[in-house]
Amino acid sequence: MSAAMRNPAAKPEAAQGPVVAVRDLRAWYRLRLFGVDREVKAVDGITFEVRKDEIYGLAGESSSGKSTLVKTIAGAMRPPLEIVGGEIQFSFMDGTMGLNRAPADLVERVRWRHLSYVMQGSMSVLNPVRRIGTSFFDFAFRHMGLDNAGFEAAVVAHLARVNLPASVLKAYPHELSGGMRQRVTIALATICRPQFIIADEPTTALDVVVQKDVLAMFRSIQREMASSVLFVTHDMGVHAHLTDRLGIMYAGRLVEEARTPDVFARPRHPYTRHLIHSLPRIGDDRPRIGLEGTPPSLANPPSGCRFHPRCVFATERCRVEVPPMEQVAPDHRVACFEKDRVEATP
Amino acid sequence: MTGALLELDSVSKTFTRGGLFSRTQVEAVIDVSFRLEMAKPEIFSIIGESGSGKSTLARIILALQAPTRGTARFKGRDLAGLRDGADRHAFMAAVQPVFQNPFEAFNPLKRLDRYLYATCRRFAGAKDEAAMQAGADKALRQVGLSLAEVKGRYPHELSGGQLQRVAIARALASGPSLLIADEPVSMVDASLRASIVNLFRKLRDELGLSIIYITHDLATAYSISDRIIIMQKGRVVESGDARTILADPKHPYSKTLKESVLEPLAPGERPLFAR
Ligand SMILES: Nc1ncnc2c1ncn2[C@@H]1O[C@H](COP(=O)(O)OP(=O)(O)OP(=O)(O)O)[C@@H](O)[C@H]1O
Ligand SMILES: Nc1ncnc2c1ncn2[C@@H]1O[C@H](COP(=O)(O)OP(=O)(O)OP(=O)(O)O)[C@@H](O)[C@H]1O
Ligand code: SF4
Ligand SMILES: [Mg+2]
Ligand SMILES: [Mg+2]
Repeated sequence: MSAAMRNPAAKPEAAQGPVVAVRDLRAWYRLRLFGVDREVKAVDGITFEVRKDEIYGLAGESSSGKSTLVKTIAGAMRPPLEIVGGEIQFSFMDGTMGLNRAPADLVERVRWRHLSYVMQGSMSVLNPVRRIGTSFFDFAFRHMGLDNAGFEAAVVAHLARVNLPASVLKAYPHELSGGMRQRVTIALATICRPQFIIADEPTTALDVVVQKDVLAMFRSIQREMASSVLFVTHDMGVHAHLTDRLGIMYAGRLVEEARTPDVFARPRHPYTRHLIHSLPRIGDDRPRIGLEGTPPSLANPPSGCRFHPRCVFATERCRVEVPPMEQVAPDHRVACFEKDRVEATP
Repeated sequence: MTGALLELDSVSKTFTRGGLFSRTQVEAVIDVSFRLEMAKPEIFSIIGESGSGKSTLARIILALQAPTRGTARFKGRDLAGLRDGADRHAFMAAVQPVFQNPFEAFNPLKRLDRYLYATCRRFAGAKDEAAMQAGADKALRQVGLSLAEVKGRYPHELSGGQLQRVAIARALASGPSLLIADEPVSMVDASLRASIVNLFRKLRDELGLSIIYITHDLATAYSISDRIIIMQKGRVVESGDARTILADPKHPYSKTLKESVLEPLAPGERPLFAR
């Protein structure tokens, strides 16, 4: 397979095209455990696009496959995770397998300039024996085309955007708080202003004041470059204020996708509805109850619609047939047989 | 049971950062005092700025770090005097941590079930394989997992939220009287988060467990805490009854904090970071 990189200057691209198009992607963990084969179907038939010049949000149940999906797109898969089917097509390179079967030197070139990835819990990936300043130098110096003084000034200015003082450059990772390290990894991933940033739960360790600055930084560098961001978080307040479109995952599948305000105002999938209704608020004393039933096993998922054992709208058909993802309005897709009834229910 | 379960008396912690020629002093915790009563189990929340000393305070309470000044006492015993051996063992059985980042909390080369078995054996008196498995399964079920899902698996084989729940289950398996939970549900969806904070409430009410809940999530802090402290730059800037404070914060930083919480939009409201 040839996966040559396109010269971005030679090919002006439509502002609305996708930066990545994912088609019917299946990525499974294939394990042998105690002599038994087991397939964890963490991503099982997902089709979606992240457009140029947008922030696409991803939310969904814990362990529904969000990190697996973004890992696969970022080309950061490791065995036993395998692509079992489907395509990943980037605007900035040829081929339909994205980065996953691309040669190492191509992956290296694509990183930073085209795509950068902040993995979940990534505050733990900083090299413990290198000072933060050294990590910046290692990662970004070559890509920035600046002299030493210019580079340092750029790094300090960029750190200020995530509310970190220049003094962190002299620190070792263990000398920083969880949230400070998290901001360092965000700064590292964004300083080269790549075309496409994938960030998996990048603000879990930040207080809400700092989080606001960090989100503002994401939006402003996105806007400066008309670039794209794929942003995973459980925090629905963050989605409401930051993302342009929002996809909701349940048990390895995308179950709903719409412009973010529509997801909140007109959810059509029962899981999305539950998610939105279970949000706690300060000053609201109604008890919140978790979803009934147990989360589905991805090694042995429920038949038909995977949500049926826990769905209050479920009918007989839901046990047998898989609901297809269908367009219900402009930019609004949902996978539910009872979507009209869900929408009509107050 | 009378007296203090935990008592912090003007605790401060200063770190020296940087190399030989460029040392900087970081005052991570400055003069923090509070006490939890044995007779009154409670959920005590710590919220505040990133880098304001919350995790440092947690490590001091867990006797993993010594304060530079001041004293921390558990059931009347100064933690500075805690020796290895029986003393320390009893302390560790009673005071259990859930660390901030689950991806760092576990050794990547060690199977997760082993952590649970070890806790059941060392602190909960599980004598044989069957008892350890039963203990582990019971603890995991409280957080919506089961031993079958975790058995034989390594940390990187679980999702962030699953790993956080294993960390909570492991801490609960010893039957502690104080849980120090540093952002225990930051990677868990809202629905599971509700189940877990409801579990905390139940453990407080039914088992008399006290919980120090460190979080950036003001909404869950509001819904489950009895008391709260708000920290900024190492200091406690406001403290007291959680609902009173979160409903009507007085300190400027607490006000900013509350105003910065992002909630789903009200009709007609514009997103803060719109295109
Ligand atoms: N290396 C692995 N081997 C086997 N199973 C794995 C592995 N990594 C993840 N899984 C499983 O794949 C499923 C999806 O995990 P993933 O991390 O993608 O979920 P997630 O949606 O990101 O969850 P969270 O919101 O909790 O981070 C989970 O059931 C998890 O246990
Ligand atoms: N081992 C250490 N050496 C030097 N400085 C340290 C060390 N540990 C923590 N610090 C510093 O102490 C301060 C408080 O850190 P701490 O981890 O307690 O913050 P936190 O409130 O938990 O923050 P977060 O919400 O980001 O997790 C920070 O400025 C940090 O850089
Ligand atoms: S298809 Fe059926 S089970 Fe699935 S979400 Fe819709 S109503 Fe519920
Ligand atoms: Mg994840
Ligand atoms: Mg911390």
